[in-house]
Amino acid sequence: MLREYLKITMAGAGLFCLTVGFNRAANADIAACPTTISFGLTTPLTGGLALLGTQARNGAEFAVDEINAAGGITGKKIALATEDTGASSTDALNAMNRIIDGKPLVIMSSMISPHVFAQTESVNKAETPFVVAATNAKVTAQGSKWLFRNHAHDGQLADLIPEYLVKSLKKTKPGILVVADDYGLGASKGIQAALAKLNVTPVAMASYAPSDKDMSAQLLEIKDKGADSLILFGRPSDITLVLKQMGDLGIKLTTIGNTSIVAQTTLNNLSAAEADGNYAIGGMIPQTATDPKILDWAKRVQDKYKVPADNFTVAYYDSVYMLKSIIEKVGCDKPAIRDALAATKEWKGMLISYQADANGDMAHTLGIYRNKGKVPEFIGPIKESGF
Amino acid sequence: MGQLVVNGLALGSIYALVALGLLLIFNTVQIVNFAQGQLLMLGAFIGISGAVKHELPMALAWASTMLAMALIGIVFMVLVYFPLRGRPPFLVILTTIAMGIVLENIALILWGPLPVSLPSPVRGPPLRFAGVVISMHQLFIFGTLAVILLLQYLMLTKTRFGVLMQATAQDLHTARLVGIPVNRTIAVAFALGAMLSGVAGLLVAPIFLAEPTMGGSLGLKAFVVSVIGGFGNLPGAVIGGLFLGLIETFGARYISSNFRDAYAFIVMIAVLVAWPRGLFGEKSSEKV
Repeated sequence: MLREYLKITMAGAGLFCLTVGFNRAANADIAACPTTISFGLTTPLTGGLALLGTQARNGAEFAVDEINAAGGITGKKIALATEDTGASSTDALNAMNRIIDGKPLVIMSSMISPHVFAQTESVNKAETPFVVAATNAKVTAQGSKWLFRNHAHDGQLADLIPEYLVKSLKKTKPGILVVADDYGLGASKGIQAALAKLNVTPVAMASYAPSDKDMSAQLLEIKDKGADSLILFGRPSDITLVLKQMGDLGIKLTTIGNTSIVAQTTLNNLSAAEADGNYAIGGMIPQTATDPKILDWAKRVQDKYKVPADNFTVAYYDSVYMLKSIIEKVGCDKPAIRDALAATKEWKGMLISYQADANGDMAHTLGIYRNKGKVPEFIGPIKESGF
Repeated sequence: MGQLVVNGLALGSIYALVALGLLLIFNTVQIVNFAQGQLLMLGAFIGISGAVKHELPMALAWASTMLAMALIGIVFMVLVYFPLRGRPPFLVILTTIAMGIVLENIALILWGPLPVSLPSPVRGPPLRFAGVVISMHQLFIFGTLAVILLLQYLMLTKTRFGVLMQATAQDLHTARLVGIPVNRTIAVAFALGAMLSGVAGLLVAPIFLAEPTMGGSLGLKAFVVSVIGGFGNLPGAVIGGLFLGLIETFGARYISSNFRDAYAFIVMIAVLVAWPRGLFGEKSSEKV
C-alpha cells in the first residue's frame, strides 16, 4: 500500500517538474527574443514589377502595423526592414544580402520566382526561415529546408485550369496566350502537359514580351485557328490590354486564366463588356468575400495605400500573423521557427487554411472566379489533389 | 490580313511619333535623347491627371499637358544638356539614359504603380470594312501623325526658326558668332521635342494604359525606327516606324510571337548592313 502510494506520489512529482520545466523553457524562449523582433522583406517596389511587389509589401506592412498597435508579439514590437529588388535578379540578390546583414529573425521575399531562385542559397547560408510567394512550382523543389511558400503556384494552376476548362466549361479547342517570362512560359508548359492528359491539343500557342503593348497579332492567330476558348496567363497590366484588344477586335472566346483576370487593378481599366464572363483560378482575393470583416480590411488597405488588396496582399498579411503565432509558441530560435513552419497544419488565415507539405508549400486551396460585368464573383474553392 | 495591316500601321504610327520628337532634338544638338520614351510616359500621366483626376475637358487636358511638357523639355535641357555641352556626346547620351530612370521613379512616386487608362478624345463606333475593324482612335492616331509630320516638315524647311535650328545643328559656335540666339533655339527644340512625346503619350494612354515603365520600350523602338529611316530624316522615321510596326505584327502572327522584340533589332541590323546610313539617310562628310 505504502509502496503504491510512493509510486503515485513520485510519478505526480515527476510530471509536475516536467510541466514546470517545460513552461519555464517556453517562457525563457520568448524572453530570449530581442526587444525588437526583426523581419526582413525583399520585393520589387520600382520597375515593371512594382505593382505586384507593392501589393505584397502592403500586406506585410499592414499586418506588422496592426500587431505593433496591439502591443507586438508578447510585448515586443516587430521591425520590418524592406529592400527594393527592382525587376532584376542581380538587384534581388543584393537586396537580400543587405537584409541578411541586418540579421533578421525571419525573411520574406517576393512572388517573382527568378528573384527567389537567386536569393535562396544566400538565405540557406544565413540559416533563416524564408517565406515567399514565388509562383514557379520548382521554387520549393530546390531542397532548401528554410524555404516555405505562402501562395498557390503555377504547377497547381496548370493542372486545375485545363481541368476546369475541359470538364466544367466543355471547351476542347483552346488557344494559349502567356506572358513570355518565367511565370507565363512555365505555366504554358504545365498547361500543355495537363491538356495532353485530357486528350486535348491546343489549337494555337502564343506569347508576348512583358513590355509588349500590342497583342492583336497573337489574338488574331488564335481566332483564325478556330479556338473556342483562351487560356490566358499574365500580369494585371498586360491581361488588361489583352482583354481590351479582344473587345476592340470583336473576338469573343471563353477566357480563363490566373487571378490577374479578376484583379481589381485589371477591372478598373476595363469596360463591363470587356471584363464580363472571364474566368480565373488562383490565389484567393478579398473582394469576393462575404465576411464584412474581410471586406472592411480590404477597404482599409485600399484607403491606406491607394492600391487594391489582392491575393498577394492577403498571402503576406497571413504570413506575418502566422509567424507571430509561431514566435509566441517557440520564441526566437530560428530552427524552432523553421520546424514550426514545416509542421503547419490547418492554420487558419484570412481566406484559406495553410498546411505545409514535405516541400514547404503551404497553400493548397485556390479560388474559382468569374467576372459578372466588372465585379468578380466567387464560384467556389478548389483544392489541390491530396489536400 | 487586313486587320494585321491596320494594327501594324497603328503601332508603327506611335513609334514614328516618338521618333519625330527624338529627331527634333537630334537635328538641333546632335544628341540622341534616350529618355524620349520616359517623356512620353510623363505626357500620358499628366494628361490622365488633368482629364481623369481633375475632370478637365479633354481639350483643356491636352492643352495643359502640352504646356507642362514644354516646361519639362526646358528643365530637361537645363539639367541634362547644358551641364555637359561640349563634352563627348556619349556622356550626354548616358546622362539621358540615367535621366530616363530618374523620370520613371519620379512617376512611380507621384502616380504610383497602378496602370491607368485615359479616355480617347474621339468617340464613336469602330469602322468595319470587309471584316477589318478600325477604331476611331486608330484613325485619330493616323491623322495626328500626318498633321505633325507636315507641320514639322514645314517648320524646318519653310520658316526662319527652322533655318536657325539647322544652322545651330551644323556649327554651334559659328551660329553664335553670326548672331543666332543659340540657347533660345535649343530650348525651343527641347520644348517641342518633349511636346511631341507628350502627344504620343496622350495617344498611347487610351489603348496601352499608362504606367511608369511604359516609355522604355517605346523609346528604344523610336531609336530603332530613326536608324532604319536614316537618322535625322523625318519622312524616313515615319516610314521606318510604319515598316517596323508591320514587321512586328506580321512576324508575331506568321513566324513566332516569342521573338517579336527581336524583329526590330534584326531589321535594324539588316538595314544597316544593306544601307549603312539607313533607308533614307543622306551622305555626309566631315572635315578632318
